[in-house]
Amino acid sequence: MSERVIACIGTKKGLFVAESGKTRRRFELRGPFGPGVAVYSTLIDGRGTPRIYASSCNPYFGMKILRSTDLGKIFKETKSAPGFPKEDGRALINIWSLEAGNGRNDLWCGVEPASLFRSSDGGNSWEMVPGISNHEHARKWQPGNGGLCMHTILRDGNRVHIGISTGGHYLSEDGGTTFAASNKGVGAGFMPDPYPEFGQCVHKIAGHPDAPGRLYMQNHGGWAEWDGPGGRRPDIGVLRSDDHGKTWRSIAKGLPSDFGFPIVVHPHDPDTVYVAPLETSTRTCPGGAPAIWRSEDGGGSWKRLARGLPKKESFFTILRDAMDIDELSAPALYLGTTTGQLWLGRDGGDEWSCLFDSLPPIHCVKVAVV
Amino acid sequence: MSITVHVPSPLRGECEGASRLQLSATSVRAALEELERRYPALHRSICDETGKVRPHVNLFVNLAHVRDRDGLDTALAPGDILMILPAVSGG
Repeated sequence: MSERVIACIGTKKGLFVAESGKTRRRFELRGPFGPGVAVYSTLIDGRGTPRIYASSCNPYFGMKILRSTDLGKIFKETKSAPGFPKEDGRALINIWSLEAGNGRNDLWCGVEPASLFRSSDGGNSWEMVPGISNHEHARKWQPGNGGLCMHTILRDGNRVHIGISTGGHYLSEDGGTTFAASNKGVGAGFMPDPYPEFGQCVHKIAGHPDAPGRLYMQNHGGWAEWDGPGGRRPDIGVLRSDDHGKTWRSIAKGLPSDFGFPIVVHPHDPDTVYVAPLETSTRTCPGGAPAIWRSEDGGGSWKRLARGLPKKESFFTILRDAMDIDELSAPALYLGTTTGQLWLGRDGGDEWSCLFDSLPPIHCVKVAVV
Repeated sequence: MSITVHVPSPLRGECEGASRLQLSATSVRAALEELERRYPALHRSICDETGKVRPHVNLFVNLAHVRDRDGLDTALAPGDILMILPAVSGG
């Protein structure tokens, strides 16, 4: 079978799967799977026979993990979902991140309240990772507007980066056994100390395998006008690290807003990074005119990409996991909106077109070429 | 003593498609424990990991909400019907 582009779209009302050939001219849509139930995270695991995973987050009856082994034509529940030990006292509220582990059947899962779980059998059974889930800071983390979520799991050899809103960035250098807060240079506009040890509202972290020391972070920005204790806190929203997340510095200069949720790195160039700036007060597109901003020099400068996107009267939000990029030679960006539109940005975001304009509100988008 | 558990349609997949389950229990808590033993996935959909009934799940004994009686300690008599109903909320 020739290569196919698969886009998994997690929405408020279930999971949709869009499939196309490499031209990406026409996408066939399937779903909703897990109908009526919100999906906050998906994973397309391309190792061996591709598998698709999705969290199915039912506020009535609890959390499930869905799994497909036929590129998203049929989904079945795995035998169990992550769950806290009975004596722990915490109960699962949501599933925010799914990532592949080392082994063929290894999975990592970040949940709300912020905790990490691992599976070694493709999601049929789960164990809590105590090094971060029971970290001495864990009971001091606070929920952000979306809840106390562990939304980012980035692995780089023995290093594991975790992003928590609100908790900050945590780094393990022993494969996930122990973790330490690693937030030097990561600001928190909403705390008396603008640069606390932990407690930052990190929105998303992204990296690139060709530049393992390099990380990009979309942090909770929008504090340039802050006039309370500690003074102004401009440009704390978009950050870069060059030392495996030990220290961070601002790369927000040139953006219309340092507030946003997703951050995505070009698959073939670690210097090219994308953000989706939003107005701080409304968390919608600045001036009602959506645009993605691209830097091709690691955040040194930014270019506005809006050709084909609405020029006015668009007030959607792009959530933290609702932007992705495929791995074709001329990659396309995929952008899901809270108004249920899925946009395709060809040539790395130079030219946009709407693939689907009336889906339920979109929480997450993951794309893979399989 | 035998009581009947009415299972709502979204949860029937967790108990082999059954809409009604017969089991022996003298309290709601005992009924849930029996469900946990026989249908762990169904129990997980009703209660969280701590054993609390999920906030959007309501349990009725005949016509009375268990919160208006003795909660999970509400006594069950032979022939009682324990209904599992999702709370009505939407969006």
